[in-house]
Amino acid sequence: MNYYEHTYITVPELNNQDLETIRKKISEIIEKNASKIVREEDWGIRTLAYQIKKNSKGKYSNIYIQGNNKVIKEIENFERYDERVLKFLSIKINKIPEENSELQKTTD
Amino acid sequence: MKRKKDKKKFSKNNSNSLFNKSNQKQGKSCPLSGKNAPEINYKNLKLLKKYVSDTAKILPSRITNVSLGKQRKLSQEIKKARVLALMPYVGE
Repeated sequence: MNYYEHTYITVPELNNQDLETIRKKISEIIEKNASKIVREEDWGIRTLAYQIKKNSKGKYSNIYIQGNNKVIKEIENFERYDERVLKFLSIKINKIPEENSELQKTTD
Repeated sequence: MKRKKDKKKFSKNNSNSLFNKSNQKQGKSCPLSGKNAPEINYKNLKLLKKYVSDTAKILPSRITNVSLGKQRKLSQEIKKARVLALMPYVGE
């Protein structure tokens, strides 16, 4: 079992329903592969340092996953073909931090 | 015996003075290593922005005095932050 940190940026104009569907799909993929979400963070809407697909703002969501490498592959596969997701980054980590990150507290 | 002792003293003094010279020229130590050093992480934007120039380039360690290992880690974390558009690739 490995620990992963996965962050994805979505279009800022999304309503709550679309956000829910994205979150549900990701959690479904995670459950399918016998993995679990350890912690979730919402960094809110921030201004991007550069434009991505003609968007200057984006909504950041961050999840910590305990699982195997197949989960990451499938999540990225889903996000790559979803137009609502602008960008993502997943990182393998040794330990899951207990405190909230500084991005959680500060907006922009 | 006496002679030998004197010789030793002389050589010791000589080497000491040599070392003292180098001690006076000691530079600053690495700000990111040591006990109370902050953790380098791509989410810690306040820290990362200190080590980037106005044009968003990563500053060389000969200016910032960051140790070799920490500089490697620092540049990696800055690049992660750039991917997520938390930091710019190109500045103004």
